[in-house]
Amino acid sequence: MKTTLVAGLALALSASAVFAQDALPQAQTKWFTDADAKLQEMIARQPNTNRARNVILFTADGNGVGTNYAIRLFSGQQAGGLGDDYVQPHEAFPYAALVKTYSSNGQTPDSAPTAAAMNSGMKTRNGMINILDTVAEGDCVAGLEAGTRTFAEIASDMGKSVGVLSTARITHATPAAVYARTASRDWEDNTGIPEGCAQKDIADQLVEQMKAGVIDLAMGGGRAHFLPKDVTDAEGKTGKRTDGRNLVEEAKALGAQVVFGDQDFAALTMGNNAPVLGLFEASHMKYEADRTGEPSLAEMTEAAIKSLSTNENGFYLSIEGGRVDHANHDGNLYRVVTDGKAFADAIAKAVELTNAEDTLIIVTADHEHAISFNGYCGRGSNVLGLCMKEDGAGVAHSGEPNLAADGKPYTVAGYLNGAGSVLVKQADGTYSGARADLTEEAATDKDYLQQALVPMSSETHSGEDVSVHAMGPWAHLFDGVLEQNYIFHVMNYAVTAGEMKKASAQ
Amino acid sequence: MNRRTLLAAAAFGIMSPRAMADEVVNMRDLYEKDLSFSGYALQRQGQRIAASGFMAPPLKAESTFFVLTRRPMAVCPFCETEADWPDDILAVYTKRTVEVLPFNVSIVVRGVLELGAYTDPELGFVSRVRLTDASYERA
Repeated sequence: MKTTLVAGLALALSASAVFAQDALPQAQTKWFTDADAKLQEMIARQPNTNRARNVILFTADGNGVGTNYAIRLFSGQQAGGLGDDYVQPHEAFPYAALVKTYSSNGQTPDSAPTAAAMNSGMKTRNGMINILDTVAEGDCVAGLEAGTRTFAEIASDMGKSVGVLSTARITHATPAAVYARTASRDWEDNTGIPEGCAQKDIADQLVEQMKAGVIDLAMGGGRAHFLPKDVTDAEGKTGKRTDGRNLVEEAKALGAQVVFGDQDFAALTMGNNAPVLGLFEASHMKYEADRTGEPSLAEMTEAAIKSLSTNENGFYLSIEGGRVDHANHDGNLYRVVTDGKAFADAIAKAVELTNAEDTLIIVTADHEHAISFNGYCGRGSNVLGLCMKEDGAGVAHSGEPNLAADGKPYTVAGYLNGAGSVLVKQADGTYSGARADLTEEAATDKDYLQQALVPMSSETHSGEDVSVHAMGPWAHLFDGVLEQNYIFHVMNYAVTAGEMKKASAQ
Repeated sequence: MNRRTLLAAAAFGIMSPRAMADEVVNMRDLYEKDLSFSGYALQRQGQRIAASGFMAPPLKAESTFFVLTRRPMAVCPFCETEADWPDDILAVYTKRTVEVLPFNVSIVVRGVLELGAYTDPELGFVSRVRLTDASYERA
């Protein structure tokens, strides 16, 4: 009787709470109902504990929380909105966490140890890929004895196919961590390998991993690292190799299809078990804003998923938006956000072509940059342009720029350092300067460099956190504030855990 | 005035030749996206034009040559090797010995527009577009 009474009382209290909520003056506003709908979605959220047949790891290089925010505003404003309420594809994923990106010797990491963290499950020193941090960076001989076993090799041993895509050189740090072990990220071809050291260069290791059956598909830039220096490619650029080897011909001899542009890319025969090597530029692929004659990252993603998914055992696919980072280094936010939008389009394509029941999709970045944001901007201020005053009686900004103490307007975004520095080298070698006058037209020009403080020839990474977003099997293991190398551990668990769980139940 | 209105105005003979010579174009107005020459570049071949950009750190001291880049030539240790120039550059051959300016100071270069591949006999530098007999100033 007592139990019934208590239950009845609880019901009555609950009903009155509901009544009180409905009576809230704000209850019918869209803000309130949207948030309540989100609450119901979160309450209904159920962990997916299936075995992951496929794992897709998306990394936009240099796309930390701040850079991702800039891309969100840009994408939303391009879609005709104010920008801040826009939801990028990965931001709709059910699970997210913050990620600490420092390397074992760098408060600020570079892309080598961060990619190694995700592909090998441990942190290592800056500049090294899939080599234990018992070795010093660049110690070629010691590195030969200290290589890790990568997630691609584990997946391949499970019978899965493996693909790697990047808009940077395919030999660049992030994609290289899928297939290579190197004491220096700079050894992209034979020219950098120290005399007398037996380590194979990164391009050579890619072809070796194709030969070994680990890598099934690799597409990006970096053609020059595969060609001898006396060979000129179809775009008039010469190779860089000095060992006389033509790795393009060696890949073809393995039966690989090798493509160099958007037309032969479109003509690829997929799913016939032959390796695919796409080398679309001598160096990095073009920025999305300048792209011509090359597939987009979304097109490469679609081709890769369609090809790799013919393997009934599944696949591991690493996809890098490689040049968000480069545009940040240039201090040119326009190319950051346009490459960032192209990265988001690739994510949307992957979600469309896969099934959340069997495919774990992870979206993250390797590190952040020295990007930062001014205030107080009214809503709809162009993320590339000037920080406009709020409209106290409206929603969108007033159209009147905020002014700094120097009487000049300023942009929404800026950099703490880099080529856009307002301090310029003078004839006597000292640095001084003042902020330039700015117009909205000048600031939104696609070649504009946002103003920066510390003068440097290239803007730097920062050690700030990045986010990780996940959907599919075991995505709920991403929560809280995580170490970057934990990402490997979730991927590794997701491809086996479902089976282990079933086995223990029998 | 942007380039499109400039060309339209020129077509209708509204502008004097001197006004056109003073018009400053962006380097990107000389190239199409696929790096073929723009209609503007083809139309102005052999004539003096003014183009804005940035002086890349010169390859050689006391020279009459430098490379004009579209954006400041940020030298990122993780991005490009020193030998890799962007595709969309302009080679500048100056009247006088180059006084080096910082790589991130906007400049305007005035010179005769030359199109077509050319290999510098001294530096071996291959260019597709050049401004010769050039002078420059801070923008």
